[in-house]
Amino acid sequence: MSDTVLEVQALTKRFGGLVAVDGVSLEVRKGQIVGLIGINGAGKTTLMNCVNGIYRSDDGQVRLNNADITRKTPHEIALAGVGRTFQVPRTFRRMDLIDNLMVPLLHTDASDADLTARAEDGLRQVGLYELRHNHGEELSGGQQKLLELARVIMLDPELILLDEPFAGVNPSLCRIMLQQIEKLRDASKSFLLVSHDLTSIYRLSDHLYVLNQGEIIAEGLVEDVQNDPVVIEAYLGN
Amino acid sequence: MANVVTSSASSAGHWLRPDIVRQLIWYLLIVVLVFWCITAPSRDANLSLYFSFMMWITLASSLNFIAGFAGYMPFGFVAFYGLGAYGTGIAVKVLGLPIWLGVPCGAALGVAFALLVAPSLRLAGIYFAIVSLSLAIICQRVVALLPEWLTGGSLGINLGVVADREHGYYAMVLVLVGVLVTASWLARSRLGKALKAIRDDVEAADAMGIDVARSRLKAWLLAALFASLVGGVDAWFTGAFDTQTAFDVLVTAKTVIYAMAGGLGTALGPVVGAGVLVWVDDQIWRAFPVLNNFLLGLLIVVLILFAPRGIVGSLMQRFPRLRRYVM
Repeated sequence: MSDTVLEVQALTKRFGGLVAVDGVSLEVRKGQIVGLIGINGAGKTTLMNCVNGIYRSDDGQVRLNNADITRKTPHEIALAGVGRTFQVPRTFRRMDLIDNLMVPLLHTDASDADLTARAEDGLRQVGLYELRHNHGEELSGGQQKLLELARVIMLDPELILLDEPFAGVNPSLCRIMLQQIEKLRDASKSFLLVSHDLTSIYRLSDHLYVLNQGEIIAEGLVEDVQNDPVVIEAYLGN
Repeated sequence: MANVVTSSASSAGHWLRPDIVRQLIWYLLIVVLVFWCITAPSRDANLSLYFSFMMWITLASSLNFIAGFAGYMPFGFVAFYGLGAYGTGIAVKVLGLPIWLGVPCGAALGVAFALLVAPSLRLAGIYFAIVSLSLAIICQRVVALLPEWLTGGSLGINLGVVADREHGYYAMVLVLVGVLVTASWLARSRLGKALKAIRDDVEAADAMGIDVARSRLKAWLLAALFASLVGGVDAWFTGAFDTQTAFDVLVTAKTVIYAMAGGLGTALGPVVGAGVLVWVDDQIWRAFPVLNNFLLGLLIVVLILFAPRGIVGSLMQRFPRLRRYVM
């Protein structure tokens, strides 16, 4: 049986005349962290939005555990096992942190007391428990990133899409985030990770894809991609 | 870094848990409010004022279901009120039903209209607000153009002897209890949490497994149900209405202002907003009948400027510990 969790096949997304994602194919295996790098405007976030259903792709297919999820809605994809965070943190700003973490659990049959206990436990794991009665909007940017990660953990997805998880996060919060990601990988969760922080992405990724102008221009192990002249040219120019 | 909002839960006894205290306060408020309104006729109080008080609390609370919880501001909210009145009037005058059956018929008409225009919920922000306003105007025009034997033409519908101020008054007490119990349920329910998540960020809520379309439709139908019931009961109380009064855009404007003045997003906010402003409006009108609208307008401007989240919302922002005790 295949251990491929996510399979993207020839995915294309156009905005009018602009081809933001152009025939991209990639795969993420069970327990693997796959990094996706590229300069601004390369199409990384658009690709993520197509994978989790926020955007409808124009062509190609997205498969989760071999099931076609291309035309499913974001909430169906979430319940099928894909969680995500956003480039700019999108917490539920006028809900307290416990309620923020309860949102992904609302569809379950668990009792309200159980949901609260699980949400509190989730906050403890990322060091935000003391702030549990604060609203999302009262957190710093880095704390909001942590809250988003905790929220996605609550969903218990098989695949987690992380969009710039380390951007604007101070080193101590970054450490907590890295610990959580590694812990989840040890629990066989899979990741598609987009980041400008090349140090973190090189450290975490098992496999790397490089996106440029909507196309994959290189892929492979970190050390291979790091030294690929095409990648160096895309990042640094001639 | 955020200032920590402290909790007293650990030191408090079980029965003093904030969620239990919150429910006790809320249900005590409902009991006092209902007792105060239900005994008004025996106290020879001004029934019209009390009726108006209950009507605006109910309308503001029902608007809160869709605007405060889900974040969709319907500028055409009056359509439900108007259809509730006309549905009731037609059921009584044309179908010959008793008025107590006519009111649910009016509510059914309002809810059916809400279902018909539910696709407009795919829009957001100002686009939804404007489409909603347009739909209400269309609704008014269509009702005005219907045959005279059905809707009474330009004279509207006069319920004649069927209208009954006393029974209409008590019917409004029932509708008030219904909306307050629904508001408290919604504030505590999973649907309420889902709606608040949608209000705060619809895409993030969707990505966290919330069925956005289904959740907001439920809030929309609940809002339509109570607004239509108010329209029907108001027809019962006053006995006469036409398309100008039943679809008056001022009904929407007042509902929005009362709900916002109290604070959208909590069950308590619209009750406080409508209660305070209806009372203040009455006091100003008694003291300065000529300057009534000017002074009320001035008060609303000051309120929005200094308490943009409404009375309850701003207090909760200023004193975060209150959040745990406010439904």
